[in-house]
Amino acid sequence: MSQYALALDVGGTFTDVIMVEPASGALWTTKTPSTPADPSTGFFDGVDKVLGRADAKAADVTSLFHGSTVATNAILEAKGAATGMIVTDGFKYVLEIGRHDIPRKENLYSWVKPARPIPPRLIMEVPERVQLDGSVARPVDEDACREAALRLKQRGVQSVAIVFLHAYANPAHERRAAEIVREVFPEAQISISSDVLPVFREYERSVVTALNAYVQPKVGSYIEKLSGGLKAREVSSPLLIMKSNGGVFSPSRAAKRAVDLALSGPAAGVIGARYVGDLTGMKNAITIDIGGTSADISLIENGRAQMTNDGEIGPFPLPIPIVDIHTIGAGGGSIAAVSDQGGLTVGPESAGASPGPACYGQGGERPTVTDANLVLGRIPPHLLGGEIPLDTERAERAVREHVAEPLGLDLHQAALGILKIVNSNMVGALKVVSVEKGYDPQDFALVAFGGAGPMHAGDLARLLGTQSFVIPPYPGILCAMGLLATDLQLDYVRTQVQRAPNYDLAGMEATYAAMAAEAAADLAAEGVPAERQQSQRFADLRYAKQGYELTVAFPGDTVTGEAVAALVEEFHRRHEQLYTFSDADAPVEIVNLRLRAVGLVDKIDLPKAPAADGGATPRGNRQVWFDDKGPTETPVFDRIDLAAGQTIDGPAIVDQADTTTVISPDQRARVDDYGNLVVTTERR
Amino acid sequence: MQNVDTVTLELIKGAIRSARSEMEALIDRTSMSPFIREKKDYFTAIFDKAGNLVSSTNLPMAGNLIDCILEQYPAETMLPGDLYWYNDPYASRGAVSHMPDMVFVAPIFHDGKLFAFAEAWGHLWDIGGMMPGSISPDATETFQEGILMPPTRVYRGGELNEEVFRVFIRNSRFPEIVKGDVKAIMAACRLGKKRMEEIVERFGHDATVAAFEFMMDQSEAALRKALDEKVPDGVYSFRDYLDSDAVTEQSYGVHLTLSKQNGSVSFDFSATDDQAKGAVNFIMDQSVPKFMAGLYLTRDDPNIQMNSGFLRAIDEVKTRKGSLVDPVYPAPLGMRSHTMIRVNSAIFGTLAQATGGQASAASSCYVLYYLSSFDRASGAFELCIEGLAVGFGARPMADGIDAVYYVAQKNYPVEFAEMEFGVQIEGYRMHTDSGGPGRYRGGCGIVRDIRVIADEATIGLRLDNVKYPAWGVNGGQSGRSGRVVVNPGTPEERELKPLSDRNVLKKGDLVRVTTSGGGGWGSPLERPMEQVRDDVLDGFISNDSARDDYGVVLDEESGEIDVAATEARRAGMAGAMGMFHRRGYFDGLEEAEAAE
Repeated sequence: MSQYALALDVGGTFTDVIMVEPASGALWTTKTPSTPADPSTGFFDGVDKVLGRADAKAADVTSLFHGSTVATNAILEAKGAATGMIVTDGFKYVLEIGRHDIPRKENLYSWVKPARPIPPRLIMEVPERVQLDGSVARPVDEDACREAALRLKQRGVQSVAIVFLHAYANPAHERRAAEIVREVFPEAQISISSDVLPVFREYERSVVTALNAYVQPKVGSYIEKLSGGLKAREVSSPLLIMKSNGGVFSPSRAAKRAVDLALSGPAAGVIGARYVGDLTGMKNAITIDIGGTSADISLIENGRAQMTNDGEIGPFPLPIPIVDIHTIGAGGGSIAAVSDQGGLTVGPESAGASPGPACYGQGGERPTVTDANLVLGRIPPHLLGGEIPLDTERAERAVREHVAEPLGLDLHQAALGILKIVNSNMVGALKVVSVEKGYDPQDFALVAFGGAGPMHAGDLARLLGTQSFVIPPYPGILCAMGLLATDLQLDYVRTQVQRAPNYDLAGMEATYAAMAAEAAADLAAEGVPAERQQSQRFADLRYAKQGYELTVAFPGDTVTGEAVAALVEEFHRRHEQLYTFSDADAPVEIVNLRLRAVGLVDKIDLPKAPAADGGATPRGNRQVWFDDKGPTETPVFDRIDLAAGQTIDGPAIVDQADTTTVISPDQRARVDDYGNLVVTTERR
Repeated sequence: MQNVDTVTLELIKGAIRSARSEMEALIDRTSMSPFIREKKDYFTAIFDKAGNLVSSTNLPMAGNLIDCILEQYPAETMLPGDLYWYNDPYASRGAVSHMPDMVFVAPIFHDGKLFAFAEAWGHLWDIGGMMPGSISPDATETFQEGILMPPTRVYRGGELNEEVFRVFIRNSRFPEIVKGDVKAIMAACRLGKKRMEEIVERFGHDATVAAFEFMMDQSEAALRKALDEKVPDGVYSFRDYLDSDAVTEQSYGVHLTLSKQNGSVSFDFSATDDQAKGAVNFIMDQSVPKFMAGLYLTRDDPNIQMNSGFLRAIDEVKTRKGSLVDPVYPAPLGMRSHTMIRVNSAIFGTLAQATGGQASAASSCYVLYYLSSFDRASGAFELCIEGLAVGFGARPMADGIDAVYYVAQKNYPVEFAEMEFGVQIEGYRMHTDSGGPGRYRGGCGIVRDIRVIADEATIGLRLDNVKYPAWGVNGGQSGRSGRVVVNPGTPEERELKPLSDRNVLKKGDLVRVTTSGGGGWGSPLERPMEQVRDDVLDGFISNDSARDDYGVVLDEESGEIDVAATEARRAGMAGAMGMFHRRGYFDGLEEAEAAE
């Protein structure tokens, strides 16, 4: 009997599908249009299409992975469920007031406060009070709680968030309130802050809990549809869903912790890039996924994706453990414009999929990055291997009218200028995750993917100063590939402030042990046997009086004086690396204890690329502008012709169905055993 | 300039912006005082070698932070690795406008030639003075507001000037916290310097300096164009009022005459009242009103940076020595924001007249309280300085911001305040009906309930816009006032003066601070009734206000709109309005003064 591993990444425009048969090494990929109205339709179109291609039976799928934008879109487009909230009496407006600031980069006279996921009218106050040490100052008013739940029910909410002050220190009141809501309003889905994010700072905790409640019904019904469809197809494999932290979890857990899906798609891309790094032996990688409107950037150090507890989604803080991804509004569709004052800007405004770049001929008049690439001959005058022709004349007209003429440049100078600016914007973002965090890009490879990544990687690698750049064999579906390379991953956190020098070693050990026991039970519930469970301890540290903590891996499996000393030492080192200074004399506080539990999933070995003797043969030539000195006659290769071990000296272009790799005159590419293009810049 | 292409200029511009945000991130992550780490009261900037502001946080405060250093330490005497600091408002002629804001400046060199400065300032937690926190409504001279540091070299060629550092730190009630913040800010300056060195290395000196000019030219051109298009030639006058200076009962007027003749724009503040005895004096640097007008008029273009280009677009700012905005040493300055916010509303007042009402309504001035408490058991003093949100003025395109403090300044989480300050926060609500009624509603202030749990405490209060609430414009009405009450709803209820210090509290007292709202824009009768209903549901306005101010009748049972009753009511309410509103409608300056 054949066995297949199947992964689907549902993006905004396309659903990317990859299926592997480990026994034979066979691999199939396909893309189907996403169906935002009911994403499960696109999901099953993808499943059916790839099964058809492989002539495989659904029942033979033995592992199934999924990356989803259901939660992301619900948050960003404000299309979550009608959601209510129950809070401590006196604090109805915590969510609305927020941190009462106008963001630093905004103009105070034009800024408008973004709408919250829950309006004040759906927030009910209940008398109760827990003190900061967890003691109870005032018991929960159960009648008020019941009445609040009934009122929310009357108002038609589907989901209820419960956030009480200091609930991170004692969850009893939130739990009791949840029981009461469940009694009188059993249909409601319930999120309580002491489950979702048991750490201090009430606004941030309220936002995350509110967002969880807000997306939960949508995620829940989506998952139900997936389960139903899979059952109908007789797929018996369990489904695993990608979380924002780069691990996967089961649908039943996803339905409870829906907010963990907020950055599911981008996280999968980073894990895919990590996979590529593992295969090519490059344990240090800076990753960039360039799409139509934005670029997602991340850093992998020694095979480990960088994490943050301080992320954002849209206008909201997202202080849960997530892969540290920096997103900027720069992509193939980014529009170039000359301002009234004679400045040239590229993005963040994007032509998107509609009308799209001028060269698509769908009514777009303004020049985009894709148009500039076309004008310079860097991409072929068609998409998808020829299925969709591109209109070079329209691209030229757009660049000429909107950039070249207003700035007094010639056409190609203008197009090069557009690329320089968008590349510079992306390099700025690449530096945010690397140089600005104390990492030297020379120690990293740039892994570029997404539809536009390979076009820009050469310029970006040179500007950033990485040793090389890597283009995986299927840059358009790397997120889907990442899904095949992940493990179950659950994160736990407790606030337990420890002030130097009186660290409570026994208390910390007890907290870690309690989290470990909870993790073991959760992983067992996910069907992970004990021998496949792993865990790693972390702690958040800061200098006394600071407001931000650094997360540092806890050395070893037991809290001892020596281990804590080593932990503090590592904190000083990280502080110096990140912030340019450290202070060995200042007292260090341990604020939160964290545990990451991993349930190992069998990895799929990707098939190796066929090897060939001799050099690669180009299919033709194209006039390509690498600089403003004039075009260069450049050989054009097709990616499917390339075999492992071959090298290509720049200048060269490598076309493939969904993207084009640009290799400059000073660069040299090598095809590795897995079909990755590894490109180095040679000094000249 | 002609030799450097636009693309390169834009690349440098982007790199400078990144350098600044990196400086900010460093301060954000490493500072230690509640004021900087939670409230985020710090700013960063890059200047050219002549001291022109090239790029900064979008906060309309003084822009000539380098001049006073250059006067003391001529450019040719500066060395790489130097770092300068000061907090002296008089020696810097208002470059820094009150003393807790400590300015740090690093000169930046390329091939031995000075070409730029990296600057950062932060509001230090305590620098001595008559009361903890160094700002007191009771101050009557600047010597009561902490240690004055004139422009001084704190690092020479990378070597710390230990003596001056020790003297400064010795003057703080909280030396460790201040030291921590100072370290963070100095590290940010050095980082900015390093990034600027990398930029000049990559692009060359001439291109980098050309980019400075390019950025300033862009801002100048944008503001000139906006002034041309939006402000017709003419003379426009407006006067706005502060409630008091805390130590007397007197109110103070900030008067502005804006004139525009053949493209030349002048701001004349000469008719502003004399300087105050209390600490509301504001050494208004010329750049402040120019930055305010510039940021306001170019607000729709995110590519425009606040910099010295704005200063070139407005020709003249006149003040009168001895007035509230040009005080004579040693007048106290701690609460200069009260006057600064009125300077802003005076600019809006003149722009409203110039544009037929197409300007924002007035905003309330942000609120602070200073709670000093003493715990007998531990013998510990605690200082809690909390910034509280107000309502901002409504705008020609949007409601005023509800519950907002100012640019880049955050509140303390309740859970943080309780952890650090020996208080219990018992309520944090919206101040219903405080936003001025209008087609666009003024922003609402807030209510914060603070329970004293220490044995002894005193509280200083800075709440303005009680006697003079923020005015409405173009048919919009004024915001409503806040107040401060101790033990509300109990037999011990008493009201505190909104601007006062050393109010004695006892253990268990509850202080309720209610803040003022912003003015409304446009006729409240034109606000869509659905929005009025939603505001009632969400608690921004009351049922009574919906009926009396907006003419919207809601069904008592269902809360739904009674459309017929609303239309009839609105028709009956229609009547003459004026350009401005506070207590009643008025059109011009004379009527306003007569009314006050």
